[in-house]
Amino acid sequence: MIPIEAVLGLGLIVFTIGLAGVLVRKNLVIMLMSLELLLNGVNIILAGLGRHLNSPRGSIFALFVIIMAVSEAAVGFALVLSYFRHKKSYDTDALNDLKG
Amino acid sequence: MFLLIPLFPLLGAAVNGLVGIRFFSRRAVGVTAVGAAGLSFAAAVAAFAGLLRSAEPVLVKTLFTWVPASLVRTAGGRAVSLSLDLAFRYDSLAAVMTLVVTGVGLLIHIYSVGYMAHDRSYARFFAYLNLFTFAMLILVLGANLGVMFIGWEGVGLCSYLLIGFWFTKDAAAAAGKKAFITNRVGDFGFLLGTGILIYALGTVDIAGITAAVEGGMLAKGTATAAALLLFLGATGKSAQIPLYTWLPDAMEGPTPVSALIHAATMVTAGVYMVARFHALFSFSGTALTVVALTGAFTAVYAATMGLVQTDIKRVLAYSTISQIGTMFMGLGVGAYAAGMFHLVTHAFFKSLLFLAAGSVIHALSGEQDMRKMGGLKKHVPRTYRVFLVGALAISGVPGLSGFFSKDEILASAFASGNYLVWALGLAGAALTAFYMFRLIFLTFHGEERFTPESGHHLHESPPVMLVPLQVLAVLAIFGGYVGLPRVLGGGAWFARFLKTSVGVHETHLPAGTEILLMMVSVGVAVAAIYAAYAVYVKRRGEPARRFSEKFKTLYRTVSRKYYVDEAYNKIFVGGVFAAGRTADWIDRRIIDGLVDGAAGLARRVSRLAIFFDERVVDDAVNGVGRVHLIASSLLRRLQTGYIYNYALAVVLGAALVITLVVTVF
Amino acid sequence: MITLAVFSLFGVLAVVSAVLVVVQKNAMHSVLYLAFTVLATAGVFFTLQAEYLGAIQILVYGGGIVVLYIFVIIIVNLKEIVPEQRRLIPKIFLVGVPVLLCAEVVTLVLRTGFPAAPPREDGAGFKEMAEMFLSSYLLPFEAASVLLLAVLVGAIVVARRKHIDDPD
Repeated sequence: MIPIEAVLGLGLIVFTIGLAGVLVRKNLVIMLMSLELLLNGVNIILAGLGRHLNSPRGSIFALFVIIMAVSEAAVGFALVLSYFRHKKSYDTDALNDLKG
Repeated sequence: MFLLIPLFPLLGAAVNGLVGIRFFSRRAVGVTAVGAAGLSFAAAVAAFAGLLRSAEPVLVKTLFTWVPASLVRTAGGRAVSLSLDLAFRYDSLAAVMTLVVTGVGLLIHIYSVGYMAHDRSYARFFAYLNLFTFAMLILVLGANLGVMFIGWEGVGLCSYLLIGFWFTKDAAAAAGKKAFITNRVGDFGFLLGTGILIYALGTVDIAGITAAVEGGMLAKGTATAAALLLFLGATGKSAQIPLYTWLPDAMEGPTPVSALIHAATMVTAGVYMVARFHALFSFSGTALTVVALTGAFTAVYAATMGLVQTDIKRVLAYSTISQIGTMFMGLGVGAYAAGMFHLVTHAFFKSLLFLAAGSVIHALSGEQDMRKMGGLKKHVPRTYRVFLVGALAISGVPGLSGFFSKDEILASAFASGNYLVWALGLAGAALTAFYMFRLIFLTFHGEERFTPESGHHLHESPPVMLVPLQVLAVLAIFGGYVGLPRVLGGGAWFARFLKTSVGVHETHLPAGTEILLMMVSVGVAVAAIYAAYAVYVKRRGEPARRFSEKFKTLYRTVSRKYYVDEAYNKIFVGGVFAAGRTADWIDRRIIDGLVDGAAGLARRVSRLAIFFDERVVDDAVNGVGRVHLIASSLLRRLQTGYIYNYALAVVLGAALVITLVVTVF
Repeated sequence: MITLAVFSLFGVLAVVSAVLVVVQKNAMHSVLYLAFTVLATAGVFFTLQAEYLGAIQILVYGGGIVVLYIFVIIIVNLKEIVPEQRRLIPKIFLVGVPVLLCAEVVTLVLRTGFPAAPPREDGAGFKEMAEMFLSSYLLPFEAASVLLLAVLVGAIVVARRKHIDDPD
């Protein structure tokens, strides 16, 4: 029997690691990977809650999250590719066109 | 099993529309489209044979639940669980309709291969045509109003697409829009009728509605309202008074389209729908009378306009309106089987006439004006022969299909005791015979009046067009014998077949009266044909010219279609403009006046203010500007342009909100 | 008991490899650890009796997204890795904020507590989920398909070269 707190904790830790990755890293591709970690953390929590409440809704929501993750990855890659073509770099420090 | 019937046209439309339009040769496109129509027809025949053998008169096939059950509170305070299935229903009525739609559709598909041979958008045309067939089949096979509505809207859409097929032509694009918008009005009635039925009965199922009506679960007034609203939908789709104006304009579409959609199938959808809900209409009584009178008046009214048209296709368009009026007349006197019978025979001879007219137009390189035809008999003899068959059939000459069906309707009208309807029907028949033979004499007889441009390429149509015409001609002759009335030694087989879906209707007429009625209508038809001969052949149209000279106003009124288009324009389009102009006037006079007055006042005040302004306010304003400048140069630093800074801001914001929640609550 | 042990094993594996994803210098190494994380997460799903989700996780993430990452890294050619320059204090701050957030959520959860689990029977299975997906969640399901179509088109539009002859 897995205590729900353990599942929540695990999800939260993965989520936090992902969030830290997004903030700290400057490499665009690794930032995208960290985003995947974020979504994975959320999925763990959803699956855990679905198990806890004995409802299929957890899995259904997690599936929608996966669909979103796929979309995000596809668009993200397209952006990375066109950005790279444009700037010849993935360093986000070069990506400051919005600077005021 | 019968679900295969609509499946093939859908596949054909998908293949031609998605793949064929880019990658197929003309030949492949034609084979795909005609093949789809042919397979569909084969499936329809197979399903029909199955129905004849089967002991069960109604087959219902539910694919899945379309809208899951939800509670609906009906008028009586009952809570009904309304669920909508994607379900199809195959009974004798649907069998007749599918056979007509796929059979005539197949012939028209074949004909189109020849007719559209030189068109640029060949694949698009066939994709639309297949899609139309699919939608029409969904309409006739739908087991509830929801599924029917899909088809109902689908055929409307395809009609729009095909009328405006040559969309670079302004008139065609406008005609498509007109058809679509006019139909919208009717469709709205259809939806409201559906809504009333849901509210009153909590069901949209054909079987459910019929059972509820026959079980007496519906108040008479509600039934009348629902039936009339549904009939409004029918007037839109079937071009009856008051929503008929789109059909003549719809002749801008290619001729096979006119034949398939605007003669044989789609415009008869209203007739089918009324027959489908015959229990509702019969129960209401009032609605049935409205149907009969609308049909009868439309029959005569449209026929008078057919007398003066000079465009060969428009004559046929008015004739279609008139003939559908006759069908509604039959339904309206309770003779549902007779109405459906006329629908079937009409589908044969009217699509024959349209296709033959198309053959004439094709021969004359696109000329449609009958004043520039004449004497075509010796140039296109085969077309002439089939056209003559169609004209004889529609005029009600004994032995051809139109005679039996029209006569059954007239006999039923007479038997119902509604002599006004009968008289109008007879008048319509007479006018029909007259203008059809006017058309024949002007087109095929007399001196040749065509222009050199249209005459130089004069030729009989290729076999791919002529063979469907000849098949249709055979059907137009012999199609009526399935419903040979008892008094002529037939078995009225058609009515007996339809008994399972539209009930029985006995015309209680003595055999002698029935024979007499037949003789009257035959006499009227023959007299009208002779009159046309006398006017247009013997005296070369001289009486017609003199008549139009003498009664100029009347002639002009009729030839301008009773100014109904103008009236609709004035009332509906003009109404919108007038409202706009009124708003404009209010805007200019009242609001602008107020504004101007206020401005004058303001100017005076402002002169005083200027002094104050220059001394005090300017400095303040400049000061504010300076503050903004300084603040913004500080704030600008926030916009670093680095992604992680923005991300950090988001996370900090989230942390802040959660902190708030943790500390406050 | 065994379930808990397996869960803990996969959980620790997921956390460790997640950390490794974030700290790698070479993006290709990151991808490998991401694959580890994804598979470990799938294991977690299995222990939570979300078998379908686990399978989808392996198929879509492991088979799809991770491979896609590898392709992208190969296409854009990561040989010239520039070491990331970031000073220590901002770095600590940037890690600290998520940790703070995490702590807050933990506080929140601990304070609110959890409703006791409803009586457990093995009903929340496959069939129930499939039925719910295609009835109650039909609209979101269709919307997701539209989203995927939009993504397909959008990704093509964004990533294609503007001019064929342009070397860029």
